[in-house]
Parts: sequence; structure tokens; C-alpha cells
Amino acid sequence: MKKKSLALIMTLLLLLMPLALAGCGGQSSDKGAQNGPKPIVIGVPTSLGSIEGADSLRAVELAVEEINAKGGVPVGGEKRPLKVVSIDDRGSEPGVPVHDALAALEKMITEEKPDAILVGTFRSEVLLSAMDLIAKYKIPYIGSIAMTPEFEKKLAGDPEKYKYNFRMGLNAVYLVQYLGKTMEFMGKEFGFKKAYIVNQDVLWAEGTAKGLTKWFEANGWEVVGRDSYPTGASDFSASLTKAKNGKAQIIVPIFDMPQSGILLKQARSMQVPALMVGFISPAAPGSGWKTFEGAVDGLVNFQFEIGPMPVKSVPKSVEFNQNYGKKYGEEMRLKLSGHGPGPAYDSVYVLANAIERAGSLNADAVVKALETTDMEGVIGKIKFNDKHQVIYGVNPQETAIGSAFQWKAPGVRVPVFPEVAAEAKTELPAYMK
Amino acid sequence: MTSSVLIFGLVNSAILMLTALGFSLIFGLSGVANLAHGAIYLSSGYVAWIFLNSLGLPYFLAVPLTIVAAGLLGAAIYWLVIMRVRGLGLSEVIATFAVGVAILEFFRWMGFVTYEFNLPVLIKGSLDISGVSVDYQRLVIVGVGILMAALLWLFAHHTKIGLALRGMAQDEYTALSLGIDSDWAAALSMALGSAIAALAAVVTLPLGIISINLGYEVLIMALAVTVLGGLESITGLVVGALLLGFARTVTGTYFDPKWMEVVYLIALVLVLAVKPSGLFGKYKELEERV
Amino acid sequence: MRIQAGFRKERIDRGIKARTDDIFAIASCREILYLVGPRFLLIAALLIFPLLKSITGIYWQNVLMITATIALLALSWDLLHSVGLVSLGQALFFGAGAYATGYLNSKFGWSPVLAIPAATLLGALFSTALLYPVLRLRGIYFGLITFAVPMLLMRIIEATKILGGTEGISGLTPLPGITITLYIIIAVTLVCVYGYQRLFETDYGLVFKAIRDNDRSVIAAGFNIQLFKAQAVFLAALPATFAGAFLTHHYQFVGLPAFAMDYSVLPMASVIIGGPGSFIGAMLGAFIVVPLSEFLRTFGTLRIVIYSLVLLVFVVGLPQGLFHYLKRKYDQFERLVPIEEVEK
Repeated sequence: MKKKSLALIMTLLLLLMPLALAGCGGQSSDKGAQNGPKPIVIGVPTSLGSIEGADSLRAVELAVEEINAKGGVPVGGEKRPLKVVSIDDRGSEPGVPVHDALAALEKMITEEKPDAILVGTFRSEVLLSAMDLIAKYKIPYIGSIAMTPEFEKKLAGDPEKYKYNFRMGLNAVYLVQYLGKTMEFMGKEFGFKKAYIVNQDVLWAEGTAKGLTKWFEANGWEVVGRDSYPTGASDFSASLTKAKNGKAQIIVPIFDMPQSGILLKQARSMQVPALMVGFISPAAPGSGWKTFEGAVDGLVNFQFEIGPMPVKSVPKSVEFNQNYGKKYGEEMRLKLSGHGPGPAYDSVYVLANAIERAGSLNADAVVKALETTDMEGVIGKIKFNDKHQVIYGVNPQETAIGSAFQWKAPGVRVPVFPEVAAEAKTELPAYMK
Repeated sequence: MTSSVLIFGLVNSAILMLTALGFSLIFGLSGVANLAHGAIYLSSGYVAWIFLNSLGLPYFLAVPLTIVAAGLLGAAIYWLVIMRVRGLGLSEVIATFAVGVAILEFFRWMGFVTYEFNLPVLIKGSLDISGVSVDYQRLVIVGVGILMAALLWLFAHHTKIGLALRGMAQDEYTALSLGIDSDWAAALSMALGSAIAALAAVVTLPLGIISINLGYEVLIMALAVTVLGGLESITGLVVGALLLGFARTVTGTYFDPKWMEVVYLIALVLVLAVKPSGLFGKYKELEERV
Repeated sequence: MRIQAGFRKERIDRGIKARTDDIFAIASCREILYLVGPRFLLIAALLIFPLLKSITGIYWQNVLMITATIALLALSWDLLHSVGLVSLGQALFFGAGAYATGYLNSKFGWSPVLAIPAATLLGALFSTALLYPVLRLRGIYFGLITFAVPMLLMRIIEATKILGGTEGISGLTPLPGITITLYIIIAVTLVCVYGYQRLFETDYGLVFKAIRDNDRSVIAAGFNIQLFKAQAVFLAALPATFAGAFLTHHYQFVGLPAFAMDYSVLPMASVIIGGPGSFIGAMLGAFIVVPLSEFLRTFGTLRIVIYSLVLLVFVVGLPQGLFHYLKRKYDQFERLVPIEEVEK
């Protein structure tokens, strides 16, 4: 009897499910039928369950709100508002096949009919297969998270087919250049010549680590060792011991997994006398000092693109931080991840600008206009190169920039690189003196 | 080099053993492969964080509360879910897995994906052991690991409840005829196993930060250690953890860290192929192969 | 409550079921319909759906594609289960097929027409050879090893950088239009379902069933069950490797996610929900599991939570599986029979 009633309740629940779903579906389609000019639909398909994805979506929504407050985007004589639709592709989660992420993207394209797609996929391998999907549906796509250099290679292979794909975010090649320049600076400043690279075994980090190894060898540094850790590794004593015994002066961590926090803490507890210069995703947000109870002291961490932290020489980045703090609260601003939000925010403006110049929503016209983009943004000067990648450099007047900051007591992030953005000099932490 | 391998190998083994202990205990005592183990481990971490940061409880109150809460959660999972599919091996597996995924993804939905979730260490600072600095927290882990293994062995072999549970695991029908309530025993073992998982979470999570995907990884690690050592013996578990812990550290130090994950999977496959009941499992030739 | 306590439930075959079951002379259209109807409905629904592109939208065509893929994996799981082998790692077969076709296509430029069948065979042979040494294992031990093997292969590819390493192989030859593609995979699925069903009605299939029920007595009867199990693994691997190869060309990409745990969990969930042992049940399960997951996309990140809870409800509330439940309702009726009380 008991079993029977249980089964009954469950069947009821199941019957109710589709109803609830139908209700949800109905609501969202009602929203579309507003009065006034038809909105321009911006699709954001990304891994909303990850910090980078969630932050990027918030940044996009902020920009959209700002543009709509000014009346929208002029298209062919009429001002049209922007509308954001988002979908979670779970790209950051383990055990999720590529097809699941692509299905999300395709669902959005075919059902919401977005006029453009921003932020885009999370994982590099998904980006590469998503390019074919974008080519099929011919929708302008400005990605800002996945950073494999294979993107440009693939685009160069068939520029006509893949011309709808753009990337605002930093790619691994630029990251190597930045890291190289930072190392050069470290070498000059402190006379460092020995480095140890520890990276995560994923596409973008492998690429960055390989590129950096080459740079070190070409510039007379000694690479004491390079280790790649599988995603999810939780003990880094092997590399840290080798780095300590090899007397490495700099450790270059390249990680976007939360466990990299262990590396940071373990390095301090093992008292490895080396400066960490690289990217550790959990240490990028402003709340990092508190989270790691000061273990981040001295770490030079990259913000792939400026934006999550105000840089005085780029006024827009200061403004972005203020507005973000106003809309979502100061606490959320301090949690902004080091990769994604800046370019995500800018991509809305770049798109609006391109649509305005193209005078229509026609994908090919918008792509043409995007190719000639030349505007100021949160990340600096935004221009695409012939492979549809935003050009990064060291001068915000000429190119977009990424920056590095150093954690200093009592828990502040001080921009130290590049020179135009630097607000203080890199200092050696107490444990290195 | 050698001393650091010895020390960190031991630490890693202790971590592996602690994370696997709860899983192995439940499997050994009630025969349920609790695939929600990773979720229980991780949610204990988040619960402890909420107790400490949102409610502002002191450490020595928050930790016991977390452990008790996890125990209750385990018992609840048994009464609400597992009991209804008990004996249907596959349904058990799918049901516990679904519970685990639901819990983990619930935390993801709640927004527990940012980087501020961090549990405090018990004692700060580090100690110098023959030229290798080890932090106290890692030593605490080794200590807790040894203590738990010893306590559980005593519990299973020298208390009435422990004996009753083991009797249930050995022969359910005979145990029933001796007046041991099967559901009660299984629920108790679930509660106990979950509480141990919570303890493991509280001592091992301070090494890094808490993140959702850890829940899935912990489950796989627990499975590997348990299978390697033998599905029900504590001795086997200790040896399995030591083997895996040292295998990983040695590989990481002398070869390349990228082989670390490969090594333990190879060990797992080899042991399963050659001696399926684990290195120290009871010899059950007829049940495991033909 | 007392009145009810005096009754018990009795299940009796419907008359039509009894008439059509054993007697091979068919008496009426109604009986033909009774026998053929459900099958016809299933096949017709599958064949019509790809034509409804304008109504359903391309997205749901894609969902059907993935559903069929998971259905193939589920069928493969069900066959293994019917021989007493519990697989927790269908991703092994999927990945083997996917990588085989990816390699053949990118390295030698084979067209999918050639590469997919070749990859199906190669993948199945590879998986069978890989599992052959452990076929003697039973129950959970075999399951655990199949769970570990795909992860091991994934880590090995990651560490050695063979077959594209973490980057995978992209830019493979695409398949022709979605409608043709769908018909191919639906045809394969149907052939597979009815083929397997037929297989289990033959004497050959009887040995498989016997191995599941009591392997030692099969040995005693003079059969080499190792060989039979290997054949079962090979037969079961075929649809799964085909699914892997096919989906790879559909998305033009193969990489480490080909061994993703979803490919192991979803088929198993499909069979458990649909009801093991009948093959139709496995397919039915896939047609619940995959579209459900797509329906739930409206819930954003909450999707997986609801999804797992629904699975849980199915597993706990309907442990024998949906197919067996429906079949029982179709074939039998229930009635309350008074329990005769013994006079004191």
C-alpha cells in the first residue's frame, strides 16, 4: 500500500513536470513580444555554472542595460533595444561530452534566433567544433573565454567559411608574449635566470607553457623543469621539491582549475623561496587574500584582459568597475574572475557599434563592420587582426592590454605590468629576501 | 628528494585513505556502493563553511555539527532512497549516483562556484623534517588518518554493534535469524560512513579551496583505493592507500606528474584483472570469476 | 481497511494475449493489430519524425540524433547485461569507435562511407581484445574494470599526446544532410533492436541467457563460455562503436570528451528506466532520458539537479522498468480476489 501511494505521488510529479515546463517556455516567449521596435537578440551560450561564464554574462547584461538606457542601437533609422538570452552549456564540468555543449548552442541558435552570439563556449575543444556550427548558421560570434590559438589556424584555413567567428579574449600566444615580457622585466630587475613551469594539462595552458619554454630558452634562461598536471591534481609537492632543489627563482603556474589553490598554499607551507608569476585562477579575484589567508603574498598574477580590476590609465576600466559595483554590489565586484568579464562587456559595445555602422542586422554586413572595428573599450583599444583576434599589446592607446598585478600585504592587488598601467614596482615578498 | 617523497607520499596516502574510509566502510558493512560519497564529502565542506562564515560559529562547534549533519544526511539517504531499491544492485548504483549528482549540482546552482570557499586549518605554521617543510595541517591529516583507521578496526572487531554489522555483511540471512535488523544496521553504517566522510572533508579541504568538481574526483579516488585494497578490510584499505599515495608521489617526482593519474588507474585495472577482490580482500574465487 | 485486507490482487492474461501468444493461426484483424500495433507505432513514429523538420525545428532533429546514439549505447549495455556482464563504461566502446573513425578520416582521408563501417569493426575488435583477459570476472568486478578502462585510455591519450592529445582531431568530413543522417541512424537502431531480440530467440542466444542465469552449468554442459562472452562483447560493441563513429562525423570532431562519463551513465540510466532484458525497454529509456534532459534546459544550471531527481523517482518508483510495467498492463488485467478465510 505504501509503495502504491509512493508510485502515485511520483507519477503525479512526473505529469506536473511538462506542465511546469510549458509554463516556463510560455513566459520567455511572451517577453519577446514587447511593444515598440523589435529588440536585437544577443545570445550568450556559455558555462553558466563556472565563475568565468557567470561573470561574463553579468558583464554583458550590464552593457546591455547601459545601451538600452540610452535608447538602444540605431539600425536603419530606428533605435532598437538589445535583449540578452542565455543558455548553460555546462562546458566547464567534467564528464560532459562536446555534443552536450554544442546542443545548447544549436538550441539557442534555432529557437531564439539571436542576431549575434557573445562570450561563447568555455572549453577550447568545444570552440573548435562550434566554429563549424557558426559557419553553418552564419551568425556573428564574438567569443571571449576559450583561448586556444588553433582558433586562428582554423580560421586562416578557410577565412570565407569561418569569417563569422571573432575573439575578444586573450589567446595563448599573447599570454606567452605577456609572460615573456614580464620575465624579461624580472630578469632585469632582480637578476633572475632560473624558472620552473607548472601547468595544467589542458589545451590553452599546454600551449602557453610550450611557448614560454621556447621563450626562456631563446632568452638565455634556464628552465629547471616543466611539469603538467592533469586537471584535478591535488598534490604539487613533486614539482615544488624539484623547484626548490633546482634553486628556481621563479615558478610559473598556469592553471584555471580551483585545485591550483593547493599549489599556492603548498608552496608557502613548503617554504619554496621562489616568486610565483603566472596565472592561478582562484587567486585572481579581489577576495583572494582572505581566501588564502595571505598565502598569495608576492604572487604576480595575470588578468588576461584588464577589466576585473581598475587600471587608471584606461579610464573605461575604472568606469566599468564602478558601474559593476553599483549594479551587482561591491562584494560581487571583488569576486570578478581574471578572465572574461572585460572583453564580454566590450563585445556588446563593439557589436552595437558594428551594427550601427553596418546599418542592418545582416550577418555579412555586420561581419564586415566588425572587421574594421576601431574603438576604445574596457580592455584598451579594440581592433581585430586579419584572423579575427583582437590585437593585444602593452599600450592601451594602440591595442587592447592584459595586465599583471602583485598581491601585497595587507591584501591589495597592485598593477605592476605593463609599464603604462603599473602603479607600483614589483617587490620581492618577505620570504625571498 | 627522497625524504620529501617519503613525507609527501605518506601525507598523500593519508589523504587518500581518509577520503576512501567512509565509502569503504559503507560498502564493507552494508554492501551498498554509495556513489553519493563524493557529494556527502563536498557538501560537508560547504556546510562547515556556512557554519563558520555565515553563522559565525566557533571552529570547535562547527566541526562536530558538520559531522553530525553529514551522519543524518547519510541515514536520510538510506531511509528515503536506498531502502526502497535495496538488493537491486544496479538500481542502487543509479539511485545513489543520482542523489550525489543532485546534491553537487544543487550547490553549483546555489552559486558555490566562486573562489572564496576555504576552510581554516587546525594549526597554522609548518615544521621542518629533515630538510623538508611540512605544514601542521598535513601532519594533522596523517594523525587523524591513523587514529580513524585504528578506531574503526577496534569498532568493527571489538564492539557489539561492529560485530553485528560485520555479521550482516558476511551473511545477511544468518544475521537476520540472530535478530539483527538489516535496515537498521545498513542505515547505521550509512550514517557512520557519511560522518567519516565529513571528518575527512573538514581535515583535508583546508589544503586548497572547495570546488564542486572535487566531489566527482573524490568519488573516483575512493573507488580506486577501496578496490585496490579489498572491498571490506581496513588493513586492505590502509595498504591500498599507501600503495596509491606513494605510487603517485614517486611518479610525480621521478617521472612526470602527468603520469600520476595514469598510474593509479593502471594499478586499479591490473588488480581487478588479477585479484578482483583486492590485494587484501577475502578470497572469494567463486563469486568474482568463473 | 478491514474489507481490503480480505482481498488480494490477481493478474491474469488478457484473452487476446492468450490467443495470440501460442496459437499461430490468426483469427481476426484485432489480433493482428494487437500483435503488430505497438511495433508499428514505434517504427512509424521514428520514421515520420525526421520529416517534420519544419514543425519541430532543426534543434529537435539533433536531439533525436543524440537520442538514437544513446539508444544504441543502451542496447549494447542491455545485450551485455543479458549475458551477465554489467558494464559501467559504455564510453569505452563509444570512444573506440570515435577515435578509430577520426584517425582513419584525418590520417588516410577515408570518406565516412568507408571510415564509419571500418571504425565500427575496428573499434569493436579493439574493445573485445581489451576486455578479453577480464571476461572471467563476474558481477561488480567486471563493472568496475569497465568503469576504469575508459578513464585510463583518456589519461593515456592525454599524457602521451597520441591521436591529437588534449586537442583532439577536428575538421573531419561532415555527414550529408540531417534527414538522411537521421534515417541512417534510426535504421541502424531498429535493426539492432529487432536483431538482438531475434538473436535471443535462437539457440545461440539461449547460451547467452544460460550464461547469465548459471554460468557454471553452462561450463558443465561443455561450452567454452569465455568464447561466448567474447562474442557477446563483440556483438554488443558494434552498435556502440557505430554510434561513436557516427556522432563523431556529425560533429566533425573527436577528442578526450569521447570517453566522457555521460556516455557510460546515460545508457545505463536508460536501460534501468526502460527495463532491462527486452531491448525495446532500453530504447524506450533512451527516448525518455535524452529528450527529458533537453526539455530541462529551460531551468539553466538547475537542470541537472531536476534531471537527477527525476531519474531517482523513476528508479525508486518503478524499479522493474517502464517497459515491463507497460507490457504488463498491455498483456494482463488485474482484479481483486477475496481471500478465503479459514473458519475457526
